[in-house]
Amino acid sequence: MANEVFMPKLSSTMETGTLLQWFKEEGDSVETGEPLFEIMTDKINIEVEAYDDGVLLKKYYDIDDEIPVNQIIAYVGQQDEVVPDTSPGISGNEINEEKELNESAVEETSVRIEEQSKVEPSEDVRATPAARRVARSNNILLNEISGSGPKGRVHVKDVNQVLIQRNDSRATPLAKKVSKAHQVSLESINGSGVNGKVMKNDVAKSIDRVSRVDPSIQTSQKRKLSGMRKVIADRMQESVNTAPHVTLTSEIDMKKVQELRKNLMKVVESHTGNRLSYTDIIIKATGEALSRHPAMNASLNDDEIVLNNSINVGLAVSLDEGLIVPVIQDVPSKGLREINDHAKRLAKNARNQKLQEDQLKGATFTVSNLGMYAVDAFTPIINLPQTAILGTGRIQEKPVVVDQEIEVRPTMAVSLSFDHRAIDGAPAAAFLTELKQILENPYELLA
Amino acid sequence: MTAPYDITVIGGGPGGYVAALHAAEQGKRVALIEAKYLGGTCLNWGCIPSKTYLKQAEIIEMIKKARDWGIETGEIKLSIDKMKRRKDEVIHRLRNGISYLLKQGKIDVFYGYGTIEKNHSITIKTKDDVHTIESEKIIVATGSRPVVPSIQGLEQVDYDTSDTIFDMKNIPSSIAIIGGGVIGVEFACIFASLGTEVTVVEMADRIIPNEDADASKTLTKELENKGVSILTGSTVKKVTKVTKENNYSILSVMDGNGETHSLEAQSLLVSVGRKPNTSAVEKLELEKNGPFIHVNEKMETTNKGIYAIGDVIGGYQLAHVASAEGIVAANNAMNVDDQFDDKVIPRCIYTLPEVASVGMTEEEVVNAGISYRTERFELHANGKALSAGEAVGFSKIICDETYGEILGVTLVGAHVTELISEASAFMSLEGTIEEAAKMIHPHPTVSEAFQENASSLFQKLKNQGVLV
Ligand SMILES: Cc1cc2nc3c(=O)[nH]c(=O)nc-3n(C[C@H](O)[C@H](O)[C@H](O)COP(=O)(O)OP(=O)(O)OC[C@H]3O[C@@H](n4cnc5c(N)ncnc54)[C@H](O)[C@@H]3O)c2cc1C
Repeated sequence: MANEVFMPKLSSTMETGTLLQWFKEEGDSVETGEPLFEIMTDKINIEVEAYDDGVLLKKYYDIDDEIPVNQIIAYVGQQDEVVPDTSPGISGNEINEEKELNESAVEETSVRIEEQSKVEPSEDVRATPAARRVARSNNILLNEISGSGPKGRVHVKDVNQVLIQRNDSRATPLAKKVSKAHQVSLESINGSGVNGKVMKNDVAKSIDRVSRVDPSIQTSQKRKLSGMRKVIADRMQESVNTAPHVTLTSEIDMKKVQELRKNLMKVVESHTGNRLSYTDIIIKATGEALSRHPAMNASLNDDEIVLNNSINVGLAVSLDEGLIVPVIQDVPSKGLREINDHAKRLAKNARNQKLQEDQLKGATFTVSNLGMYAVDAFTPIINLPQTAILGTGRIQEKPVVVDQEIEVRPTMAVSLSFDHRAIDGAPAAAFLTELKQILENPYELLA
Repeated sequence: MTAPYDITVIGGGPGGYVAALHAAEQGKRVALIEAKYLGGTCLNWGCIPSKTYLKQAEIIEMIKKARDWGIETGEIKLSIDKMKRRKDEVIHRLRNGISYLLKQGKIDVFYGYGTIEKNHSITIKTKDDVHTIESEKIIVATGSRPVVPSIQGLEQVDYDTSDTIFDMKNIPSSIAIIGGGVIGVEFACIFASLGTEVTVVEMADRIIPNEDADASKTLTKELENKGVSILTGSTVKKVTKVTKENNYSILSVMDGNGETHSLEAQSLLVSVGRKPNTSAVEKLELEKNGPFIHVNEKMETTNKGIYAIGDVIGGYQLAHVASAEGIVAANNAMNVDDQFDDKVIPRCIYTLPEVASVGMTEEEVVNAGISYRTERFELHANGKALSAGEAVGFSKIICDETYGEILGVTLVGAHVTELISEASAFMSLEGTIEEAAKMIHPHPTVSEAFQENASSLFQKLKNQGVLV
C-alpha cells in the first residue's frame, strides 16, 4: 500500500505549514532520508525527508499552499499503485499517534473538515484545503472559481484571484493596472468616479501621498509580507495582542564578568576555537537564575501554566530576512565551554539556514542581546508560549558609586519582559535581582 | 422692475441655453437673454447648417460614385434655393425645440443685448426699449464671431464669413477659402460637391493643423482628389477687386518661399478663426486670457457671482464643450460644487471623409515626453467600408507603453464622427488597450477597424512584454 506523506507537526503551536518547494516530481523515485519537500513553519524553513522508499506517486499541493498539520500532502509507493485524485485529508495514522500529544488541535481540524463538506454541497469541486479555507472565510463558493490546478483543482491563488477581482470591481481597468504596478491597495483609495469608482488619478494621488509621507518609499522596493517575515509579523502581533507585557529594567555592574571572560578566554578558545562572548556568560547566568526561580521558566498554554523542568534558553539570532531563535538545551547542565560551543554553532547554522528542526524547538526562555549596537535598553516581546524574555544592552563604562566612592565601572542595562497573565511583578523582580547578583559575582557559576 | 432672478444667462447658444435649462430643472428662477436667435452660432450659422449642406454634398458624391456601380441617374440638377430651404427648415425645427424647452422650464427669455453693469444689474437693450433686471448669479455665454484679418483691400470686396455664406444667392463658379481649419475644410467639401472650383489658402504647413498630421495628410489627398487646390504655408497679402460682371477678386498669395502668386476667385470666404463677443462684460474689469474671458475650472470669472462658458472663454470652441461648461457653471452658481474635466473631449470634422479624434495627437504625446506606441489600421481592409465604397481612412490609436492607457485616437473615414464615442467611452471609463482589443464588435461594421487596431497594438505590446 502507498505511504502517506503528510504535513509534520513541528511545534506545539504549529497549525499549518507553507509549502516552499518540491524536490521531487511525480514519478521520481525517492529513498528514505532524501529531502522530499521544503516547508516553512514557525520561524524556520525545514526540509522534510522521505520516510519510505518508492516512487512519488502523487503531489496534492503546490508551492505557497498553506497546509494544515497532518494533512496528506503526497503518496510514496510502488509504481502504478492507485492513489486518490485529491488529498484524502488528515492522515489517519498520524491522528492516532498525535492524539495523546495534541488531541484538541486534531479534533479541531477534523471538525473543520466536516463543516467544510456541509458548507459545500458541491462535493465534486476539487480544491486544496487551503483554498477551501480562504474561500470559506471570504464567502466565495468554490464552484464559482475556475481552478488552475490539474483537473481544475482550485488553489489558493485562484481564490485570491477572485478576491482581487472582487475588490477591484469598483476601479477602472486602467486604475487597476496602475495600482497593481505600484502595489497600492485599491481598497484604501477613495474613488472620484461615479459611485466612488477609483480612477487612474485617484491611484496616482494616493501614490503621491505615500511618497510624500516618506520619500524613501518611492525609491525603495516593496515586498510582500511573506515567508519568514510573515511568520514573525503574525507571531509578534499575536504576542502583543494576547500577552500583557510588563518590562522591568535594571543595571548590572559587569566588572567581574569582564574579568571572568578575560580569564577564561584562552581556555575556552583552546577547546572550542571560539572566543568566549558576553552572551555565553549571560546565557549561563540566566539558566542559573531560572533554576532558582522556576516560575520564570514557564509556558502558558491556553489556560494552563506549565512549569518546565528543562531550562532551554533560546537565543535570538538576526538574519538578513528576519530573525530566528535557536535553542540551547538544558543550560544549567552545561559549562561555559559547552554553551560557547553550542551557541556559536547554532548561530552559524542559523545564518546558513542549516538548522535542524529540533534545534529550534523547546525553548523555555529567550535571551535577546543587542549589546553589539549602541543600545542601552529596550522592551523585548515575549516569544509565546514562553512567559518571559530577557533583553540585554551594551556594556558601557559609567561612573558608579562603590563604597561611597565614585568609580568607573562597565555597566549593562537589562530588561525583562514578562507575561503578566502568568507571572506577577514581585517574582519577576526577584528573578531579575537574582540575575544581577549572579552577573555581579559570576564566579559562583563555576561553583 | 422685474423680480430678481437666481441665475441669468446672457447668450442663447449651446452653452447658454443648456446652462439655463439645467438651472431651471433644479428649480431656480432663470432668465435668458439672447440678442439674435436661440441656438446661437451652432444652430444658426455653425454646426447645423454646415451639416445639412455636408449631407447634401455627400449625396452628390454618392450619386456620382454610383454611376460607376451601374446605378445611373440623369444629370444632377442643384437648386440652391431648395437646399437653403431645407437648411432653414432644420434650423427652425431645432430652434422651436429649444424655445419649447425654455418655456417648459419657465425660463424668462429676453430678446435684446445684455450688458452687465458695475453693480451687477443687467441692462437689456432691444430695438425700442432698455430695461434692467437683477440676478444673484450671471452666466456669460455670448459666444464668438468670425475674425476678419486686416488684409490689404479686403474691405473693398464682398467677402463672406461663416455668418453670411449659408445664405448665398448662387453657387459660385470659384471660391477662395482663407484658412484651412475645421470650418474652412468643411466649406471646401461643400463647394467642391456643388461643382465650385475651390482653393484653400492655409498659413500653417498643413490643413487642420490642430489634428494629427496623419489626418491632415489623408484629408489633403482626398480634397485634392475632389479638385480642391490646397496652398499651405501661404498667406494672402492683398485682395484686389476686379470689375468683372460677377464680382471677381484677385488674391495675392505669398507662398512659403516668399514668392507671390495671384489667384482669381468669384467668392471669397474668410475662415481664419473666431473672436469672443465680450460687449456684455465690457463695463467690468474681468481678467482676460488673451481676448477671451479668463475662468477657473469652476467656470468662475474673477468677479464673484459671474461665470463664463463656451466660445467666449476660448479653448476648444466646440458646441458640446460649451454645453458641458454650461452645466458646470450652472452647478457652481447653485452652490453645487462642480469642475470641468477636459480629459475626454471628442473633436469632429464633417468633411468627406470625416475626421474624428479624442485625446492627444501624436505630436502632443511626443512633446509631453510620454513613452507611447501607435499603430494605424487602414479602412481598405475593413469589409463594411469596402462594400460601402468608403474605404478611405484609418483608425489610429496611441497608447502608453506601461499600462496600455489609451492616450489618443484619430479616426478618418465615412461616419467616423459617430464612431469616436466608442474611443471616448474607453478613455472616460479608463479601459486600456487590452479591454479595447478584447471587446467584441459586430461584423461587418466600420467599428471593427477600431478593434482590429487595438487588437494588433495590444498583441505587439504584449509580445514585447512592455505592458505591465
Ligand atoms: C461654420 C461653423 C461650423 C461649426 N461646426 C461645429 C460642429 O460641427 N461641432 C461643434 O461642436 N462646433 C461647431 N462649431 C462651433 C460652435 O458653433 C461653437 O463652438 C458654439 O456655438 C459655441 O457656443 P456658445 O454657446 O459658446 O456661443 P454661441 O453659439 O456663439 O452663442 C452665443 C449667443 O450669444 C448671443 N449673444 C452675444 N452677445 C450677446 C449679448 N451681449 N447679449 C445677448 N446675447 C448675446 C449670440 O447672439 C449667440 O446667439 C461651428 C462653428 C461654425 C462657425
